[in-house]
Amino acid sequence: MAPATKTSGRTGSPCDPSRRALLAGASALATAGALGAAGCSRVASASGAEGGDLLDRLRAQGVARLGIAGEIPFGYIDTDGELTGEGPEVARIIFRRLGVERVQPVPTEFGSLIPGLNSQQFDVVSAGMYINPERCGQVIFSEPDHQMLDAFVVRKGNPKGLSDYADVIRAKARFATGSGYAQIAHAVEAGYPESDIVIVPDQVAGMNAVEAGRVDVFAGTSLTTREVVKKSRRTEATEPFAARVDGKPRVDGAGFAFRRTETRLRDAFDAELRKMKESGELLRVLRPFGFTKVEMTDLTMRELCRA
Amino acid sequence: MNWDWNAVVDFLPHFRDGLIVTLQALALGSVVSFALGLVWALLVRTPTRWVSWPVGVFTEFVRNTPLLVQLFFLFYVLPEWGLTFSALTTGVVAIGLHYSTYTMQVYRAGIEAVPAGQWEAATALNLPPRRTWTVVILPQAVRRVVPALGNYVISMLKDTPILMVITVPEMLGEARLYAQETFRFTEPLTVIGVAFIVVSSLASVLLRTLERRLAR
Repeated sequence: MAPATKTSGRTGSPCDPSRRALLAGASALATAGALGAAGCSRVASASGAEGGDLLDRLRAQGVARLGIAGEIPFGYIDTDGELTGEGPEVARIIFRRLGVERVQPVPTEFGSLIPGLNSQQFDVVSAGMYINPERCGQVIFSEPDHQMLDAFVVRKGNPKGLSDYADVIRAKARFATGSGYAQIAHAVEAGYPESDIVIVPDQVAGMNAVEAGRVDVFAGTSLTTREVVKKSRRTEATEPFAARVDGKPRVDGAGFAFRRTETRLRDAFDAELRKMKESGELLRVLRPFGFTKVEMTDLTMRELCRA
Repeated sequence: MNWDWNAVVDFLPHFRDGLIVTLQALALGSVVSFALGLVWALLVRTPTRWVSWPVGVFTEFVRNTPLLVQLFFLFYVLPEWGLTFSALTTGVVAIGLHYSTYTMQVYRAGIEAVPAGQWEAATALNLPPRRTWTVVILPQAVRRVVPALGNYVISMLKDTPILMVITVPEMLGEARLYAQETFRFTEPLTVIGVAFIVVSSLASVLLRTLERRLAR
């Protein structure tokens, strides 16, 4: 105890210039850092006055960074180490038409996509993200490029007979889903206690939890679940179903997310996306990833944000 | 960043759940590591090499591999061999086992610090080995090392957030979950940061008291 007081006493005394200089330097650095950070964010939001200049900057750089969640078939790195998936392929085509040559993946957890977008880690979220009111409060979305139902990963033979959220509650099944997934809200809406939901990092960990018997069911989009069980001999995916929100069955639409300030980029992106939809090119691009006519959508971003 | 007290209030139910899990993991982890560490310390001192060598190799292995790797191994690999525990149990076992290899060294130091005269006296009184250990050596050894063991309790507390990666809903996990739902990071992370300081300070005070009582 005594030596500690002694040292702290010495720091306080003015006769130790080197240490004081060091302290002053450190605090100056810290201040500069804080100012610098604040400065950065101010530049980004100031340019938001006329809808953002991100598109011009991306054209100059020749590369757009896409946030993905390593989720097959939405956005992932394939076995050759190449970026692919529904979102990245569509984004690649559209960005090229907008004059941005390349796209580059930034993989993260699904739950970190929106925070990562807003903290400038990447320029667009292209991970098949459902458009819902909570997310619309944080980011702006393109029009949906596909629509999607939920499905479950369960043990082979579906021993508990789970086909929708109501069954999960009736069977008192242990329920898991991914971090930041829309299925958290779907399950809570159906009456599942939120604190009992097991949150896993991604769909592979979810499938693993079902295999190990830690949970009875993992919920995701119908395509996610269908893809992930291909790697497993002990689990299967259930039939796709619509989650019920406010008593009505909800079909979710998924699109690309942009920072709130970048409306110009979003609008330019939307214009190209609309052309792809109308010409049928969109379905041709998405088909290799397991999408069919059923997933093509007439939903609009506006109604999905409101619903 | 703007601070919102409503977010703090909203987060409190999550926080309470997380705090309980963190404290459970800490308490059970401490018990496991203190007990197991003592067992290791005694086993490596057994005269038969058939016991002391395997124990030495095993504890050295555990001590020299990262806790995170061990966690993943226990959580994802053991189920493939048909051994499945809940996430919290896995976490407690991993932390307890990992730290037992540290506490083992602490106990060893304590045992070696017991003056040779004590051993000689026990021999002179013709005490059987069991009684020598339980009434002469260990009471003196353990008393000496309580402060060092206390440090590991604090250290364990600060390692509990690692359990988040195996889906244990401890404080950091709850904070992240809340943040991903509401997109507010400042409040939940600040709250749990303060909670860690409070819990570790309380633990320090508790251990200090224990130390003082034992020193008497």
